[in-house]
Amino acid sequence: MLDELKALEPFRAEVRAWLAANLPADWQQKMLGAPEEEHVAFQKAWFRAMMAGGYGAPHWPKEWGGSGFSFAQQIVLYEEIARAGAPRLILYFIALHHVPGTLLEWGTQAQRERHLPAVLTGNEIWCQGFSEPNAGSDLASLRTRAERHGDVFVVNGQKTWSSNAHHADFCLLLARTDPAAAKTRGISYFIMDMKAPGVTLRPIKQMTGASHFNEIFLDDVEIPAENLIGPEHGGWAVAQSTLSSERGLSVLELTERMRVGFRMLLESAQAEGPAGGRLIDDDEIRRRLVDIYARMQALRLLVNELLTQAMRGTKQGTEPSIIKIYYSELLRDFTALGVTLGGVAGQYLQPVLMGGANETGYWMQDYLYSWAWTISGGSSEIQRNIVAERGLKLPREPQPAAAGQGG
Amino acid sequence: MDFQLSEDQEALVSALHSILQDHAELPQAERFGYSCFNAELQGILADSGFLSAAREIGPIEAALVTIETARLPVLVETAATGLVAPMVLGEAIEGPVALIDGKAMDKAHRNLPIARTALVDLGEDVAVLAIEPADVEPVESVLAFPYGRFRKAPDLAKARRLPGAGEALRQWWRVALAAEVAGAAQAAIAFTIDYVKQREVFGRPVGSFQSVQHRLVQCHAHAQSCYYLALRAAWSGDPVDADCAASFAQQGVQRLLFDLHQFHGGMGVTTEHLLHFWLYRIRALQAEAGGVHRIGLEIANRLWPDAPAAAQRMAQAG
Repeated sequence: MLDELKALEPFRAEVRAWLAANLPADWQQKMLGAPEEEHVAFQKAWFRAMMAGGYGAPHWPKEWGGSGFSFAQQIVLYEEIARAGAPRLILYFIALHHVPGTLLEWGTQAQRERHLPAVLTGNEIWCQGFSEPNAGSDLASLRTRAERHGDVFVVNGQKTWSSNAHHADFCLLLARTDPAAAKTRGISYFIMDMKAPGVTLRPIKQMTGASHFNEIFLDDVEIPAENLIGPEHGGWAVAQSTLSSERGLSVLELTERMRVGFRMLLESAQAEGPAGGRLIDDDEIRRRLVDIYARMQALRLLVNELLTQAMRGTKQGTEPSIIKIYYSELLRDFTALGVTLGGVAGQYLQPVLMGGANETGYWMQDYLYSWAWTISGGSSEIQRNIVAERGLKLPREPQPAAAGQGG
Repeated sequence: MDFQLSEDQEALVSALHSILQDHAELPQAERFGYSCFNAELQGILADSGFLSAAREIGPIEAALVTIETARLPVLVETAATGLVAPMVLGEAIEGPVALIDGKAMDKAHRNLPIARTALVDLGEDVAVLAIEPADVEPVESVLAFPYGRFRKAPDLAKARRLPGAGEALRQWWRVALAAEVAGAAQAAIAFTIDYVKQREVFGRPVGSFQSVQHRLVQCHAHAQSCYYLALRAAWSGDPVDADCAASFAQQGVQRLLFDLHQFHGGMGVTTEHLLHFWLYRIRALQAEAGGVHRIGLEIANRLWPDAPAAAQRMAQAG
């Protein structure tokens, strides 16, 4: 990987110069505690600026309006975005990654033409309708029902944990079309218009005070059959394309942002300690800082292995799961150290940096939000199951139905 | 950077494996001992050039040799002879080599009974001592290295001295230590995985229980991270990387020890299996070259040097 990246030094300089010239220097000031509508407006403005600069859709093919960057170029770009402390484009995450990952592999030409250009204008926001109250890590047990009536599907059920659904125009929806089939065989994948009659949202208030997620209630929502993505009942395979569309770049960005955020921990450690002197002069604090520092180095090396595999097209093993566990637990310990350094004063409610990294320096909110990372996208426990069974080749856990028989 | 091995490195590791596979089994007579040094294999590795990799190819290759040999239940001393000594001296010295903390000359030292040469960390400088077997008294221990102490304190004033080499010695000692922990940990984990797949309780394999699986995954991720950090430190030659690799490796030792023995059930507290040949090597390395605490603080002092109070305390602690 090193050689490929070295060859891209001129490209890196270009990106860096562009970011220096175009990233508003005061964006953090403006987005600190910003109301929702200002946050959305700024996300849209920044995305459009990135598009104008040629960096908004780096992984999209040129024929669909993207930059068509090589994988190595994308690595460089995400490193530079993270290092510049640019906003995270969370509003567009699903639209930019999951939508093309899904439509380019499974969508019809009409679906691609209808949605892909619209996403790149910045006007079309997407959300995801996968998880349900009784189907989280065990996604395949989802129950939302879609019944075919002529050329529409009528959908009833409930989705949850849908980030930014309250801003979204469309939803990538999984629903059960054949209840008689085995769990993964009877699921279909749809494009759902969020303005369709019967779609109701309820925001979920998080323990940090914010509300990024929503419940989505679906009552007799009609979805035209032309909005089916992939084969009817074949949605599970389509969903695998959705979920594998990131190839390690998201976690690269998060890892680099964490390395940048480490400076904030060091700044917090300059505060006066309870026994006089600075916190950073305390051996215990120094060791905790070193522990985080060494683990960040290890994380970056694990990520590099993943990126190298992706770049060379080698088949990926369970590295993404190992890295997911590693990142989320490191983030928890990183932000917990921030809370320690901040003391009681750091636990008063403060304004939140909208669109910021997972390390904002408002440590209590960062710490509480870090708990979401060990759960979302497949909990740490599920990731460990995956590594144990597919990576270490340990025997599968007995099915719950048989669990009582041994004793 | 990444650690996909190059073709040459693959070839080196594969050639090494073809030698090591003949020694992968522990001789039956040695099974109940605490450590088993294989002098014959040590000789073969020296004669076939594997201990000269650091000088002839580079430190990454020497680290790979250390990692691969650390996977064996038998002991060969490749870390100090093949990696540390050549990086500090830039020349070949007679191995096996023992690495010694000059502030604790009278204590027992790892590998001293098998060593032909010792490198002594004197702080600023390094002393190079030729070792006569008659000068060393073996010390019994449960650790899976031979330990011994000097019958009479060696005269360091007469020894060959490498001025200013202390820092380099500690740096490469730490890289070697991390590499050795990585290889031994990976082997111990693989051994344990084999066991939990076969051993059944309540009518199913021990390894089918999540409480076992999840902890094995943590062990695996830790060992893999040790491996990358060790190779990175060998690659960069940066002292902070070396310290990070060593302190990270040492930090995880307790957990590895506890979990891997635990998963062997009652057998785990006997010598009826091979586990201790790896894990009690790791345990010995846990406290070396400063140990987690001192190495951690040294990293902090390198990274954040403007902490006068801490630096002063470090200096006082020596």
